[in-house]
Amino acid sequence: MIVMNENSAMPGEGLFERVHSTFQMLSILPEEISEDQLNEILKLLPSGNIDAARFMLAPSRWEVSRTSLLSIYTWLEEARSAKEEGRKVILVPFNFPPEIIHAFENASPITSEVMSTLAAGMLESGGEEYWDYAMGLGLPDHLCSGNTIELASILAGADLKPDVIISATPGGCDVNAKIHEFVSNRINIPQLLLEKPTYDTNSRRGKEIYYKNFRRLVKNLEEITGETLKEENLRRVAEKANQASELYYDLWELRKRRPSPIPGSSAFLAYGMRFSMWGRDEAVESMKKILEVSIRNSKDGDYNAREEVARLFWVYLPFYYDGYEYNEWLEMNDVANIGDALLLFYPQVIDTSSYDSMMEGFAESAWNMGMTRQMGAGSMSMQWTEDIIAAVKEFHIDFAIYCGHHSCKQTWSAFTILRNEIKKRTGVPVLCLQGDSWIGRMTPMSAILDEMSLFLKNVVIPARKRKERSESKEG
Amino acid sequence: MQQWDLMAKTFENEYVEKARGEGKKVIGYGCLATPREIIEAAGLYPYRIKALGNLDKDLADAYLSKFNCGFCRSCLHLVLDGTYDFLDGIVETNGCDHLRGMFENWQYAHSTDFFHYLRVPHENNADTLAWFSEELVLLKEALSTHYEVAIEDRDLIAAMELEEDAAAKIKMIYESRWDEEIKITGSEVISLLVLKESLPTQQYLQILDSFIEEMDTREPLQCRARLFMGGSATDEIDLMAELESLGGLMIADSFCFGGRIFRDKVEVSGSAIPQLASIYLDNLLCPRMFEEYQCRKSFAMEMIARSRADGAILFQNKFCDLHGIENVMLRTDLEKEGIPVLVLEKEYGTRADTGRLKTRVQAFLERIGK
Repeated sequence: MIVMNENSAMPGEGLFERVHSTFQMLSILPEEISEDQLNEILKLLPSGNIDAARFMLAPSRWEVSRTSLLSIYTWLEEARSAKEEGRKVILVPFNFPPEIIHAFENASPITSEVMSTLAAGMLESGGEEYWDYAMGLGLPDHLCSGNTIELASILAGADLKPDVIISATPGGCDVNAKIHEFVSNRINIPQLLLEKPTYDTNSRRGKEIYYKNFRRLVKNLEEITGETLKEENLRRVAEKANQASELYYDLWELRKRRPSPIPGSSAFLAYGMRFSMWGRDEAVESMKKILEVSIRNSKDGDYNAREEVARLFWVYLPFYYDGYEYNEWLEMNDVANIGDALLLFYPQVIDTSSYDSMMEGFAESAWNMGMTRQMGAGSMSMQWTEDIIAAVKEFHIDFAIYCGHHSCKQTWSAFTILRNEIKKRTGVPVLCLQGDSWIGRMTPMSAILDEMSLFLKNVVIPARKRKERSESKEG
Repeated sequence: MQQWDLMAKTFENEYVEKARGEGKKVIGYGCLATPREIIEAAGLYPYRIKALGNLDKDLADAYLSKFNCGFCRSCLHLVLDGTYDFLDGIVETNGCDHLRGMFENWQYAHSTDFFHYLRVPHENNADTLAWFSEELVLLKEALSTHYEVAIEDRDLIAAMELEEDAAAKIKMIYESRWDEEIKITGSEVISLLVLKESLPTQQYLQILDSFIEEMDTREPLQCRARLFMGGSATDEIDLMAELESLGGLMIADSFCFGGRIFRDKVEVSGSAIPQLASIYLDNLLCPRMFEEYQCRKSFAMEMIARSRADGAILFQNKFCDLHGIENVMLRTDLEKEGIPVLVLEKEYGTRADTGRLKTRVQAFLERIGK
């Protein structure tokens, strides 16, 4: 039952608990769900949850979703029981590699953006009441909802309270670094910084500074947890991270095929693992399952978009609410969703030969995390452009979409350059949308899909036909 | 309006024209964290980019978005319409995400002959001080190589000494408002500080000297309320004058074209670069600096106490994340200490907003019983 906390205009129950309860319910569902069973399950759910459940539990998707959902459930359980078991809860942003926290015996990570995303997709309210609470504190309305929804739940005292916040965003994102500072001050917990010096991706100088920052962060974590990182624990997570990385690149190769055999939700599930359970068996199992289903789809000719009218890549984020409607649109229009920019974290195989080599490997992983790599580069517009163009070319993308979140001042300021360069260098058109990836009431999915339909009909399909005609003439 | 005040409100002022006529190169920079002493020591003309409340943003809006801060959009518009064509080179800093976007689009759409990116750390500790020192060496080398000039330590120390003299004089003017008799308005102080960033320090010192002489002869100003102000970068001299016309005078502030420059004079000695790095990083009272909120809060509290301010007005430009969040923290902490606070969000350079802002300020003055 939702009760009001007497000290705040907030639901008394925090976002974490509510998401955890939902996962608890999902965790007991069988490996296979028939259409009839799905319909029975839907009858038990509040109306606001039905579309989210229909999206995840559909028999065609449940197989690939289930392993990831169970993995997330383990992640939530560990954070939930951390305090009781004497472990520290470390709140991390999505651009920090959680595997370094998994290497600690006395710590569990929780990722603010993953929590907000789960709320947006699974809670009846989408977690919007937490955003409203933040606004009630006087915070600006142009914050990142991906971060703020979960943080507001913490601020209200209604949620699992972290023991420390890691902010890996200075250098890559002001708004997130600043809200981390706000939360740290407000609930009186330490904020540990990992600044990205805004140097080019291959800059030796930039990496030297960053690796030093990374080492200092780990030292601070050791002091807070009272635990010195053991080499064997580092090796354990590094080996698991390496396995997941190999699977990531296997999937990368399959993603190039046309038609795409990769399930539409695979990018989301893969980076969901990257931001939560990377370095653990659970992430490896999830990645294996996505790969297994993709290979089978490829053999069976079972594609999400059978004719594959167009291949879509989101140059930034997609929308995390109303996944069912979005997916219906993809199927109806025969469009293959290939992925989005959060997939572009380019994991490297970590050299496990020594403590130092592993620390360097983890620091390198952190350096390449999504957003850090692009927005924390010497030129955010150029690095973002290079990464997107590489993806557009490798994945044979027909059109791209930028969903401009009002919070994301860096991408908004770099978008014109990105769009011009993509068009100039690949010919691929980019649709610019305004909307909040986590809050549906800012821009309803119906409005987004209307714009996508117009763009597909008036720009993408004619362009593809022109290209085909010109290829057939040449042929 | 006096000559210096007019000059503060001019982009290509007479000193810039004269310097260019003599073949001197003018180097633009966008943030208080840029040690202009290095540019001066190279025999170049340092000039801080400003928008002076420029209303027009349409050329910039083809590159930046409506979700970017109006100050940066105004600056970029001035770049694209040719106002800033007198700049021969640019030093970019990572002051904030908006500023970075502005510089990247500047480089993309209207590139200059010299472009250097000075990375300023977001923390202040022994490691970042070493890092920033190296960044200053890189800036020095870049200027030296591109313009084929030697930048000797003695030139740098001379430039630093001049800057310290300017800091000491500004402090004197700044503090003069804390006496019973106020002889200079807050908007005039902003104007003087905007001018500081637009002139070579030697020439600026001469203007300061004559201003101090002239200020002593002035009659005291009428003051309905003594106000502390702070927040987003603002060089909107006219807007400040409009707000002060309601009778509440800004007698202390923490603006970046303002009180953030307020500091004690440093005795320059020893090796120039590490000392310069330390002066800049230690005094960078900007919300972009993390782990430093307590310093900024103490600065505001001290300014309010010493100036005997009746209340505080904190501004934020729409979409300014750093000040938008900082102002919530600062407002809460100041109010805990019994200081009345008004937080005002504004769209940079939009005169249509002036009436609304004046109404809010007037209501605030009434709220604090003035």
